[in-house]
Amino acid sequence: MVGHIVVDPSKCTGCRYCELWCSYTHEKVFSPSLSRIRVIKDDLIGMDYPIVCKHCSNAPCIQVCPTGALYRDKNGLVKLLKEKCTKCGACIEACSYGALFRNPVDLTPLICDLCGGKPVCVSKCPTNALSIYPLMEVHLGKSEHLGKQYTVAVEDYKSILERWGILVKSE
Amino acid sequence: MLSQSRLYGYAGRILRVNLTNREIKIERLDEKFARMYIGGRGFNIARLYYEVPPGVSPLSPENKLMFATGPVAGTGFPLGARLNVSAKSPQTGILGDSNVGGHFAAEMKYAGFDQVIIEGASSTPVYIYIDDGNVEVREADELWGMPISRAYDALRKEIGDPRVQIAIIGPAAENMVKFSGIFFNRTRPAARTGLGTVMASKKLKAIAVRGEGYVEVAKPSLFEKLVEEVELEVYTHEQYWPRRIMGTSRILLAANKIGILPGNHFTEPIVPYAFDVSGEKLALKYNVKNRACFSCIVPCSRVFVVKNKNEAFMSEGPEYEALAGMTVRIGNSDLDRALKAIELVNDLGLDAITTSEVISWAMELYSKELLSTEETHGLKLEWGNMDAVLELIVDIAYRRRFGGILADGVVEAAEKLGKGIEYGFHVKKLEMIQADPRGLKGYGLGFAVSTRGADHLRSEPFVELSDDPELGLKMFGEPEATLRLGVRGKGKLVAYYENICALVDSLGVCKNLAENMNILDYSKTAKLIEAVTGFEVTPVEVRMIGERVVNLERAYDIREGVRRVHDTLPERFIKEPLKKGPSAGHVIELDEMLMEYYEVRGWNKQTGIPTREKLLELGLLDVVEDFVSRGILPACE
Ligand code: SF4
Ligand code: SF4
Repeated sequence: MVGHIVVDPSKCTGCRYCELWCSYTHEKVFSPSLSRIRVIKDDLIGMDYPIVCKHCSNAPCIQVCPTGALYRDKNGLVKLLKEKCTKCGACIEACSYGALFRNPVDLTPLICDLCGGKPVCVSKCPTNALSIYPLMEVHLGKSEHLGKQYTVAVEDYKSILERWGILVKSE
Repeated sequence: MLSQSRLYGYAGRILRVNLTNREIKIERLDEKFARMYIGGRGFNIARLYYEVPPGVSPLSPENKLMFATGPVAGTGFPLGARLNVSAKSPQTGILGDSNVGGHFAAEMKYAGFDQVIIEGASSTPVYIYIDDGNVEVREADELWGMPISRAYDALRKEIGDPRVQIAIIGPAAENMVKFSGIFFNRTRPAARTGLGTVMASKKLKAIAVRGEGYVEVAKPSLFEKLVEEVELEVYTHEQYWPRRIMGTSRILLAANKIGILPGNHFTEPIVPYAFDVSGEKLALKYNVKNRACFSCIVPCSRVFVVKNKNEAFMSEGPEYEALAGMTVRIGNSDLDRALKAIELVNDLGLDAITTSEVISWAMELYSKELLSTEETHGLKLEWGNMDAVLELIVDIAYRRRFGGILADGVVEAAEKLGKGIEYGFHVKKLEMIQADPRGLKGYGLGFAVSTRGADHLRSEPFVELSDDPELGLKMFGEPEATLRLGVRGKGKLVAYYENICALVDSLGVCKNLAENMNILDYSKTAKLIEAVTGFEVTPVEVRMIGERVVNLERAYDIREGVRRVHDTLPERFIKEPLKKGPSAGHVIELDEMLMEYYEVRGWNKQTGIPTREKLLELGLLDVVEDFVSRGILPACE
C-alpha cells in the first residue's frame, strides 16, 4: 500500500492551515493556489473537506500523461518530471478525485509529495484531521464468532479507522 | 519570487471602484503610508478622514465604503484572518467601522489588493467580481431581494467556484434599515454601525473575490520561529479548550455567575434559566462540528443542528452577542426558538445586537405599560414572547408596521414614539452590547469612549475578568485595573487595550489572540511586523501605530461634533445600582475613570479633544491643520 494522506472531514474545521504551510514548505510563499492539498468548503452545510493525492496504485494520471512526465518513484509515489511536462493538463482531467491542481505560475500539476516522509500538513493541522495512511495495521480475527451485529458494526467502523490512518486486516 | 516593487507582507495594491461611472482604478500601496497605519482599520480611517469629510451624508454617493486588511492576513500566522470595513455610519453619523473574520481578507490579498474602496452609487443593482487582477461590475437584478443564504448560494453558482469569497447584504439593508450588516459568505457579519445600509445605498448587493496570488514574508526564519512560539502559547492557554468547544457562547453562563447579564433589558443581571440557553447547553445538545476562520488554530465556530422534529435546521454559531440578545435580553428561555431568531436576523442581514436592543427596549416599555398593543400593531411584547419576536424581526427588516418604528435604531424609535428615550441603551446612537457595565467597569468606560459608539470590541479589556490584582499591578501599576469592580487604573487599562485593538485590527489578526488570550503585546507585535514586512520597529513605535489609529478615529468623530459630553453611558448604569447577584449595589463611576482616561490619552479633559501636542507626537500634523482651519483647535497656543 502506497502511503498517502487521509482526512477525517468531521474533524476538519476548514482553517486551511494545511494549504498555507504546504505552499510555504514547497514554494516559500503563502498561497493556497500553490498548495498540494485543497480544502473544499460549503458554508450552507458546514462542509470542510480536504482533497489531496491518494497516490492510487492504478493511477489514471500516469496512464494519460502523453510524455511520461508522471511516473511512480521507488517508494510508490506519483511524481512529476517537470522538464518533460508540456502543461497539457490531461492528468488534472484524469484524476477522479480532482487531487491534482494546476500551478498558476508555471501551469504544471501540483501533486502531494508527502514532504519526503514528514508531512507538514499533518503536523500543522490543529485538529488532528489529517493522518498518513497506512500508519499501522490492526488485525481482526474472523468476525462471525462475534455475531451479525458485530460484523455490521466493524465493517462500517473500518472506514472511520482508515481516516485515522489505520489499516484493518481481517482474516 | 517577490517582485521588486512589492512590499513584503502586502498585496501592494489598492482597488477603487466608482459605481457611478463604473470606473475602476488600481493604485500602488505607498510604503510611508503602510508604515504609518500598517493596514486594515488603520488604512481605512487614514483614507476616510481625508476622503469623507463632514457634511457628507452617509447614504449619499459621496460616502465611501472601504474594505481593508493587514500584512498578516494571508500568511500562515495563526488567527490572521481579519478584514476591516469602514464608512461614515448612517446609524450614528460618526465613524462606521466593523471587523470580520472568515476567508475574505486572505482571498482579497491573493487577488492582489490590501484595500478595496467603493465610491459613488449605481442606479441599478450590481455586484462586483474581483478575479485576480480582473475587476468587473456586473448586474445583480436577480440577486436583489434575496436573503443572505440564497444570495450566497446563487452567486457562488453563477461564478462557478466553491472557493470564491463573498460579501453580501440582505433585504434589511436593501430596505434601508439603519442597522444592517455586511455578511461574509453566510454567517460572518461585519454587523455593527450600519455598513450594509451604506452598501445598499450604492446598490451594491455583493462583492465576490477570488485570487490565485500569494503573500511573501520578509524574514522567513524569524516568522517561522514566531509562529511556533505563538502556537505553543495558544495550545497551552487555559482558554484554548473552552474557546474551541464553545467559542464566545461560553460567556453566557460565566456572565450569569458574576451577575452581568442584560436580562430583561438590563434589569435581571442573573437569570435562573442561564444553563438552558448557554454555550454549555449548545455544546452538549446541538453542536456537531467545529469550524475556523482562515489560518486559525482556535476553531471557535460551531456547526449546530436543532434536533426538534418540526423545527429542525442546521447552521453555524451563535456567538455570545446574538445568543444573549435573543435569549436573556428579551427574557426568552427557549434555546430552539432563540436559534431560529438568530438565523432570521442573520439571513435578513440585521445587526443582532441592535436588533436585540430595539426589541428589548420596546418590551420594557410594554411591561411598564408605556407602550400599548395599538402602538405595536397588535404585538403582545411580553418578555420572552417569541412568536411576537419572530414576527417583529421580519417586520423590522421590511420596515412594516411596528417594525418600521424600530428600523432606524433605538434613538429614532424613541423620537418617533415621543417617549422612552431614557430607556434607550446606546452611546452615540450605537446600541449597547450584552454586558452590564455596572459589573464590568472597564468595559463600561470602553463603551463610553469607543470611536464607534457603545461597543466592547474597541477595547475588550478582557483581563479585568481575571480579578487578579497582581496582574493589574504588573501591567498598569494599579491593582484595581484588573479587578472587574475596580475603578482606579481603568483609564490606563482601556487606553492600552484600545491601542492593541486598533493595532490588531490593522494587522489583520483576531482579538481572541491579542486581547482575550492576551498573547500579542507590543514587543511581540514589533517582531511580527518585522518578520512579515521587514519594517524594523521598536515596541514604542508599535504602540504609537495603535495610538495613531485611535487618535485619528477620535479626530474624525470630533470633526463630526463628538465632545466629552458624548462620552457617556445611559443613566441607568450611572445612577441605578444593580439590584441582584454578585455585582449588586454597583453603579458605574464613569467620571472618575473618564478623567484618568483623558489624562492617559493626552486629550483635553474639558472637551475631550486630542491636544495639539498629542497629535503632533503621533505625526498627525495634517489633523492639527485641519482642526485649526475648522476652529476646533486655536491657531496658535
Ligand atoms: S489544517 Fe486540518 S483542520 Fe485545517 S483545513 Fe487543513 S485539514 Fe482541515
Ligand atoms: S504531505 Fe506535504 S506535500 Fe502533501 S499535502 Fe501535506 S504538506 Fe502538502
